[in-house]
Amino acid sequence: MKRLQLLRWSSSALSPGFRTGSRLQRNVYAGLRHQSSASPALQAENESVTEEQPPGQPIRKLSPEEQRLHLPSPPIKAARESAKLAALHGRLYLPSRLPLETLARTLVDPSADPNPNFNNESLAILGHDLMTYYTSEHLLCTYPRLPLTVVFAAMFAYVGPKTLAAMTREWGVEYAAAPGGEVDPGLLQFKRMAPGTNLNTDTAISTTRPNPDRKSWRHSLSSRIVYDDEFGDITTESNTAVRGATPDQASASFVRAVMGAIYLHAGRPAAKRFFEQHFLSRHLNITELFNFSQPARDLSRLCAREDFEPPVARIISETGRKSRHPVFVVGIFSGKDKLGEGAGGSLMEARSKAAVAALKGWYLYSPLEVRVPSSTEENGAAPWKPVHVDLGEVIV
Amino acid sequence: MVTAISSLKRPFLALPFLLPSLSECAAFEFRRNQSSYRRTKQRLRVKPDASFGPSLNQFEDHIIYNPPSSTPSIYHTPTKFLPPDDIRRSLSTDASKNQDNTDGLPTVFKKPAEKKYHLTPSDIEEIRRLRLNDPMTWSRWKLAKRFDCSPMFIGMVCEASPEKKEIQKQVLEAVQSRWGRKRRMAREDRQLRKENWGRD
Repeated sequence: MKRLQLLRWSSSALSPGFRTGSRLQRNVYAGLRHQSSASPALQAENESVTEEQPPGQPIRKLSPEEQRLHLPSPPIKAARESAKLAALHGRLYLPSRLPLETLARTLVDPSADPNPNFNNESLAILGHDLMTYYTSEHLLCTYPRLPLTVVFAAMFAYVGPKTLAAMTREWGVEYAAAPGGEVDPGLLQFKRMAPGTNLNTDTAISTTRPNPDRKSWRHSLSSRIVYDDEFGDITTESNTAVRGATPDQASASFVRAVMGAIYLHAGRPAAKRFFEQHFLSRHLNITELFNFSQPARDLSRLCAREDFEPPVARIISETGRKSRHPVFVVGIFSGKDKLGEGAGGSLMEARSKAAVAALKGWYLYSPLEVRVPSSTEENGAAPWKPVHVDLGEVIV
Repeated sequence: MVTAISSLKRPFLALPFLLPSLSECAAFEFRRNQSSYRRTKQRLRVKPDASFGPSLNQFEDHIIYNPPSSTPSIYHTPTKFLPPDDIRRSLSTDASKNQDNTDGLPTVFKKPAEKKYHLTPSDIEEIRRLRLNDPMTWSRWKLAKRFDCSPMFIGMVCEASPEKKEIQKQVLEAVQSRWGRKRRMAREDRQLRKENWGRD
């Protein structure tokens, strides 16, 4: 009695056009073609014929497992069989409209599968744009006076590649040792970069920036706004398909692709909710991102610009002036109003810290009701009221 | 027999546990510690300030908010820094607004610098000429004293000649070459601490 080979039936039920772009699949059929006259469309009939043929025949058919070995990334139907993938879907509380197949696709890096129909490149581009848009509007509306360098640093801290790599680890996504068709689709698949590869050879994407080959020239902040990416860095393009990707790059593109996939399958409100739950909920202490070189001078320039009285440093309290460890508490006053207060071991240190506190008080002003522009996209939303727009940071 | 002799040959001081006086000393020390601890504790048992406890004469039904002294939060924007349309401007509880004894507080610097704006363009030309022609005589301090302005203003107006800069650099190197390891490290540490002021 002949056993039923269900796996073979299911593979033959797949139409040859199912993986249209897969070159390897086409190679398999091409190999069939020059050995036998069977066309791929007649594969089901052909299979029954080959079953009855005695072993030792030159015609060799690839079993589904062997076909998988030749694929660059797991086939689509493997997504339903993976426990890891279903667990990840449940753990992230993803909307049920996002199918497991798309989640499996987000885990395939372009370095593993160069075919754009099966890797996550397009989803990652969409997700990256959404994430940077939501982050920047949140930052600009919450803290309308932030200096631009701090905005860049905060953007990098919220949605930078290092953060996304950390999130991938927190989500419990593991890396596959090497990409391939037989790999569990719940693993992050990318071709690893060879050790010792120089990471600084990334070629800059051709921008409109004049003299792009002059690496040593200073990039002003205004030119970084116009020409460079959302983190203020030069947009580079690493040839990941050839060289492979680092785990950080692959993790970042995975998280971005998840965001893009949620937007495509579940819509804008779900994508926004996902962003708030996973990105904005991360605590970022913006006060630590500042670094002033001459805070007292900056503060006096600010007071002159805003028509306040010039700042005066006054000693509020002190102890142990003649001892080894004195403590001075200095406040900076403009007229009768106190702008900032700082304590330090010397008068200069206390004054400088008070000036830093005053400047941070200016830059970290936040309106009471923060509303972002994308909140008007919902149905029945209140009309947009302009937010506070500041003159900009102090330029000395 | 041989072992007994060797043990007798060992010096007596190498076996301190055989000395009876040492253990007595330790006990004595312990007792002293205990008594001083009790005495210290008794002295620390001071009566709390009257404002801490409930007052007897009137019945109070409110929360006492008495936070420890600490630096003010950065996120409390001073009233002066709020934009004019902000609702928080009208609140009168802000501590930063209209402090009473501001003028009574001593300033950090001896006298607040008052800008006079008394130098003319011809004076500035004179400053530049003097500093360029005879930089050894006319240093920043001397120029500032003569023209009654701050040395910083002299630095803003003109720059020292390259030869003077070179000489000054050599002087600095000569001074620094006499520093030892400790002084050099202390100076470097001070510089690093100074950089941290702005980061805070």
